[in-house]
Amino acid sequence: MPSDTSPSADTPGEDTKKMAEIHRHLHSHLPSDPALRVKALESLAVEKGLVAQETLDNWVQMYAERIGPKRGAQVIARAWSDPAFRDRLLADAGQAIKLFGYEGNATEHLKAVENTETTHNLVVCTLCSCYPFSLLGMSPIWYRSAAYRARAVREPRAVLAEFGVTLPEGVKVRVWDSTAELRYLVIPQRPAGTEALDQDQLAALITRNAMIGTQRDLSAEAA
Amino acid sequence: MDGIHDLGGKQGYGPIDVTAPDFAQDWERRQWALSQTMTAPPCTIDWWRHTVECLMPRDYMTMPYFQKWTTTEMALNYHAGVFTLSELVSGQSATPAPDVRAEVYDIPALLEQQRGQNHSFAVPVERPPRFALGDTVVTNRHAGTGHTRLPAYARAATGTIVAHHGGHAYPDACAHAPDRAAGPEQDLAHHLYTVEFTAAMLWPETAHPEDTVRLDLWEPYLAHP
Repeated sequence: MPSDTSPSADTPGEDTKKMAEIHRHLHSHLPSDPALRVKALESLAVEKGLVAQETLDNWVQMYAERIGPKRGAQVIARAWSDPAFRDRLLADAGQAIKLFGYEGNATEHLKAVENTETTHNLVVCTLCSCYPFSLLGMSPIWYRSAAYRARAVREPRAVLAEFGVTLPEGVKVRVWDSTAELRYLVIPQRPAGTEALDQDQLAALITRNAMIGTQRDLSAEAA
Repeated sequence: MDGIHDLGGKQGYGPIDVTAPDFAQDWERRQWALSQTMTAPPCTIDWWRHTVECLMPRDYMTMPYFQKWTTTEMALNYHAGVFTLSELVSGQSATPAPDVRAEVYDIPALLEQQRGQNHSFAVPVERPPRFALGDTVVTNRHAGTGHTRLPAYARAATGTIVAHHGGHAYPDACAHAPDRAAGPEQDLAHHLYTVEFTAAMLWPETAHPEDTVRLDLWEPYLAHP
């Protein structure tokens, strides 16, 4: 029988109880309007010298302009074009993306998983919303929704259908639930008829959903 | 703990809004920036996640995603004594402004800082791994009272080891050791494996027979059958 040796199983969880109590306490005193809550937190953090307002402005601008799914698309386009890089990406994606300088939050243990004629990969985080931010930017709202987190593991084909994906006969679904610090990047299949395209043109075909696994066929993008 | 956050496989949810944008509101962008840039009390990623999990269940289900982050940052700072309740309610500091203001980071500096955020969670573990590739394993039935990354839907389930990742920081321990944020050592680490479960094993009544679910699970979650 399984033995449960986790430390938390042996401790009374005083810190857990304390934190739940703090949440109840805050709930009864703080404004429920989220915008007001953030404003209060920002004002306090700035006043106490924990962060500069300009840094926050710059962070927002950086994510809007410099960090997003285009980064992941460039990595995939290179893997499609350069077999040696594809091998490196599959062997250790966390290291391979350093060639582009795209490492950062949650990418050190990145793993690339490749779609094939017989396998379709789909990524989820059922326990929170783990996502390779510095490679793909902020996650889409649906990725962090309760419905996606609940359903992707249990009925992946129904979820895929809502994204317009119908799998051909003989294709199995492999769902990756990001329970540790590994993060997953799906390598979609390269569409037919794209042999003449260069890496920038290829990158333009690759969507964020394809890199999460909620899109399979990129041939419409290539048409 | 058997928390409200453990959503995998839960039923009753409707269609997914596949068209929603990344951010619905400007305050969400501000919260994302705050969480990534403000100086915080000592905290492991696991204690941070556990603090989210400790939200009141109805708040967890009804708050917008980034409001959970706001409330979590407030709770962590309140717990650490950085902010008082009246400060959090008023948004005004009750202490004199510090002599040194926070440094301003421009976009090139933030891009560089972001690259430095690729923390490794690998920790060498001297104990030999108990499982080998291809081994059949059974997961624990119970989760304990604290943080864990073994979801309810994958408990007391039989799967196969498909990868071994060496030692990794163990969330069940690190969540309750926020002061060990600088990098846990062997006492807070265990061998980490990827375990494959057939969908038919997890959900025999509805699963497609060819489909599988893979999770990354630490050694204490697993046993030989």
